[in-house]
Amino acid sequence: MMMRARHTLLRISFVAALTFGLVTAEGLAGDNSVSAQSVQVSGPLKGAPSVRNLRLWRDMRLHVEPFFAFTIADEYARSLIVGGEVRFHFLDWLGIGGWGGYSVGQLDTNLTKEIQSSGVTTNANRLDLPSRENYPGQVGRVNWWSGVEVHFVPFRGKLAMFQKVFVDADIDFFVGAAFVGVEERADAVGQPAPGNVTFCQFEGNAMDDGCLGSQGARASRVAIAPSFGASFNAFFREFVGISLRWRGIPFKYNTSGTDNNRDGQIDSSDRLRQFNNMFSVGVIFALPPKIKTTN
Amino acid sequence: MRVFGGIALLLVAFGFALPSVVEAQMEFSLDEVDEEEAEPAKQSESQGDLIEELAAGEETADGPEEPAPQREEIAEEIYAVQQIYALRLKRFELAPSAAFTLNDPYLKRYGLGLAMNYWFTNVLAIGLNFIWYDWCGERPGCNPLDRGTDIVPRIQNQFRLGVPINDWQFGLWANFTYVPFYGKFKVRKTIFQWDSYLIGGVGLMRTQPIPVFDPEVRSFDWNTNVAFNVGVGLRIFMTRYLTFFTEFRAYMWPDRFENERVDPGNRNDPSTWLQSGSTFVANTSIQIGITLFLPVKVEYRLPK
Repeated sequence: MMMRARHTLLRISFVAALTFGLVTAEGLAGDNSVSAQSVQVSGPLKGAPSVRNLRLWRDMRLHVEPFFAFTIADEYARSLIVGGEVRFHFLDWLGIGGWGGYSVGQLDTNLTKEIQSSGVTTNANRLDLPSRENYPGQVGRVNWWSGVEVHFVPFRGKLAMFQKVFVDADIDFFVGAAFVGVEERADAVGQPAPGNVTFCQFEGNAMDDGCLGSQGARASRVAIAPSFGASFNAFFREFVGISLRWRGIPFKYNTSGTDNNRDGQIDSSDRLRQFNNMFSVGVIFALPPKIKTTN
Repeated sequence: MRVFGGIALLLVAFGFALPSVVEAQMEFSLDEVDEEEAEPAKQSESQGDLIEELAAGEETADGPEEPAPQREEIAEEIYAVQQIYALRLKRFELAPSAAFTLNDPYLKRYGLGLAMNYWFTNVLAIGLNFIWYDWCGERPGCNPLDRGTDIVPRIQNQFRLGVPINDWQFGLWANFTYVPFYGKFKVRKTIFQWDSYLIGGVGLMRTQPIPVFDPEVRSFDWNTNVAFNVGVGLRIFMTRYLTFFTEFRAYMWPDRFENERVDPGNRNDPSTWLQSGSTFVANTSIQIGITLFLPVKVEYRLPK
């Protein structure tokens, strides 16, 4: 898993380097007067601000955003989440906010279904897979999500859709901390020996024949993790907009409910780092409804 | 359309007369949007945005006809509008890119791509894109499973489950691209133009099962599968001919995987090596690259 994280970091670094290289190479090689669309003005408008009567979508406003989200790139189960987010912006480009959501649905991935239909149990892997039919019951899941974040909005603009609808839009970057309600398979010890398990011991049952009881035993905890992401926001009215948001929350948990470090027991040391990420669609309601503009 | 052309002529003429003023205008004011929202509604006598664009694109390149001189003075507010920053109409687009697969839990897959498009209107293009995935080729000792993720051995050990995996050689697709969204954003004093496009097409995907269940006996050739793709992309103009782009693409095809069962009686019979049915594969990937528009210069033909 560490290898995987390193590869992911390498991949991100490569993309960042490529982007940086493209931008700087173009900036160095190109004529300064033609870089993107430089606004170079002489005459009476020289020195005038490049934007006038700027609508302040966020400045000293509260954004309330109900959203629907789903997790992506999950190994064993993906979550469907309904939640809400509240943000307050001290400046048009800076704010803080909190969010929370509840997993209203859990969808098993194809891998989970494959294990359920074709997995094989022997004494060598009984701790990992006591029963293939009940495998979805041992998979780790996230029941609720919440967090606090700082929001930074460096880019804004406007767009035309189908030559008919013209809207203001911006890109919001955010970083913060997330608090996540994780439900995993409860701690258990395979007996009589690792690699030759015929029964399990777990809290409340010292003789769980075939580990069948252990397979469905659950434990809940709150995981604290960094969260970050970006969203694209478009505003259709002074107080209504939509948001398309991607959020990443990397933290460790035992997604498969298995003995991942091969020590003959299921415990916290079997948690593997997962790059949990979700995509959400939300509707933004801004308060107060009346918008301010710059002079 | 004639009314629209006349007004467009006045606007362009005004813009031509005051180029520095036009360039400086980058308002995000309520008035500006109201105007923009209101004007197309009043002038929308056409059949739809697509048809309108087809016509508009031609006008932009060749210049609209000059209207007849007005006999009466008309008191009318005139708004200056910018020229479209970079026209796509009648230009070729070359787009090298790198592709990263997002949803394959078993194998890390990287591709190098090249796309070529011809824009026959300012918003519609037809083209080809090609992605090469087969980094092993025929090199001895190069095993695509070396790019396997750590979930593969875990599945084998913990669930006694083999995973049939196919290697990919390349994909080639013919696509249509449509640009429904465009806009601009400001970073300090620089305004960047961007557009967002929808893309989709049909083509082929070359794949090959990697022998996992009976590698001593089984070996497979490359198969050619009919493939489809859809996607959405974002293009940011760095200059009038060079852009940075990123795409989310879903490549889909029916594929045949290695048979998980080994028939002891017919182990050497190749007809038993593949699964009987096809499996629908959806490869979602992110592509990042640059596009070069040719010719590099955009020529606006303005009325005199």
